[in-house]
Amino acid sequence: MKVLVIDPDETRATLVADGIRAEYGGPDTLIRLSGRFELRMLRDFDPDMVIIACESPDRDMLEALQLANDAAPRPVVMFVDRSDANATARALEAGVVGYIVDGFNPARIASILSVAASRFQVMQGMRRDLDKARADLAARKTIDRAKGVLMNSRNLSEDEAYKLLRKHAMDTGRPMQAVAADILAVSDLLKPGSAL
Amino acid sequence: MNLTLAYNPLNDAALILVAEALGFYDSEGLSVTLSREANWSNIRDKLAYGLIDAAHILAPMPFAAALGQGPSMGRIIAPMALGAGGNSVLVSAALKRALEEDGEAPKSLRGSAKLLAREVAARRYAGAGRLVFAVPFTFSPHHFVLRHWVAAAGLDPERQVQWVVAPPSRMADMVRDGLIDGFCSGSPWPQTAELNGDGEVLFSDPDFWTLKPEKVLGVRAGWAEANPDGVVALVRALLRAAMWAHDPAHRDDLIRILARKAYVGAPAEAIAAAMADDGAGLVLDPQTATFPWISHAKWFLGQMVRWGWLSPEHDFDALARRIYQPDLWRAAAGSLGLALPLADEKDEGGQGSDWLLPAQPADIVMPPNALFDGGVFRCG
Repeated sequence: MKVLVIDPDETRATLVADGIRAEYGGPDTLIRLSGRFELRMLRDFDPDMVIIACESPDRDMLEALQLANDAAPRPVVMFVDRSDANATARALEAGVVGYIVDGFNPARIASILSVAASRFQVMQGMRRDLDKARADLAARKTIDRAKGVLMNSRNLSEDEAYKLLRKHAMDTGRPMQAVAADILAVSDLLKPGSAL
Repeated sequence: MNLTLAYNPLNDAALILVAEALGFYDSEGLSVTLSREANWSNIRDKLAYGLIDAAHILAPMPFAAALGQGPSMGRIIAPMALGAGGNSVLVSAALKRALEEDGEAPKSLRGSAKLLAREVAARRYAGAGRLVFAVPFTFSPHHFVLRHWVAAAGLDPERQVQWVVAPPSRMADMVRDGLIDGFCSGSPWPQTAELNGDGEVLFSDPDFWTLKPEKVLGVRAGWAEANPDGVVALVRALLRAAMWAHDPAHRDDLIRILARKAYVGAPAEAIAAAMADDGAGLVLDPQTATFPWISHAKWFLGQMVRWGWLSPEHDFDALARRIYQPDLWRAAAGSLGLALPLADEKDEGGQGSDWLLPAQPADIVMPPNALFDGGVFRCG
């Protein structure tokens, strides 16, 4: 596991590193500390997890990278200055983000890290399922609309239109959604009054 | 009544800071603890977890969060805007030269957009990399302004320019190191960078849109529902701060307050440059720049659709009204003797000179409300 710790407070960063080593110490655990986050760190170090202090201005930068790149989001664990057990619990429930309260008990840091990591896995799974469900829905809508076009223009029943779409997809070796999208694009062009 | 109010140290947190410095929270019966935050993600998360009750936020943030773009923010309402304008775009000296013709910078953004297109073509021909621009947050007016300008050049902001999100405190370094070619940020960061010789201001908000919406007061809906009087008292305190801060006679005092280390904490010289008449154009007028226009909310939502972050199949009117709450503004402003706009929406753009906004008890004389490209955004 490779962990990148971003914290302007060097002493605290060292404590966090000690906490991770106490739990995951071993030849496979690599920890890098930095006062700032730089984009090149993702390429050069390729961390599995980034831990960032909440007072680092670089948080928004990391956040945007996660938004832009679903493939490589990493959980971010932060610190709050005042201990607030409820807030910590709620933060962990929220998934990707975990809060570590002040008082840096290294063992506690490790356990929060493992909770954050497992939450992260769950969230990733949910996000993948959701993406797939969205894509399936979009495909079905496209196919339904193309069916409608065929039914109108060739005077077919719904079942006949579907079979025709499926046959064309099989003949051309393309997904039904792609065939349906082509039909929609062409039907838009053929609409009276469409711009030249 | 106790509440914790967070802000990002920028000039446009002025109303929040002035209300504390001048004791307006106390006189409205509020005991406010200010929380200075180093980034927007913290503010969003702390609102979500109930660690703070209200905050200075980028206007698009609650819409993005409500529509599932990025982590949750919890339910947020926006009873007022915290002013208009105040951002500037700073570019490297090299890019500034490239955006001039015969040593002259064009007066309008249409002109600079044309030169931007020329520069992008020249770079492509020379095999140079894409121009890189930085913004402070994905869902920010800064991002929308720069994208609109790039698109006005006939360029595709998605493919022909590269975007990075970076903290304003580091943007000047990134320009100096050649990592980015320019950035858009709230003041006083662009002015600080210019004073340090790290680049030159290319344009400021009023050049783009004379009365551009920017930050709003975001309040946790849970807190607002539990403390209906508290919300109105908070808006009153901030409107009273606006009455004071908008008075030109108070400008020097305002600059000194903002420059305090615990507040914005930037050099007074940079804050003053941003506040000057030809500066970043931050408008703090309570009457014309703090009403939470539903048409502003819809403009932001429209930008999110435009750049492909949002499907157009949403009930935008319902969403805008769930977050922006003009009636809370009216409740607070009416008790301070301000005029109350009759409508919740207006045309955004197209007003090149002063105009009359229907209001009671008397119509409001509004300053120009025009976009550089002449565009008009009309609701419904």
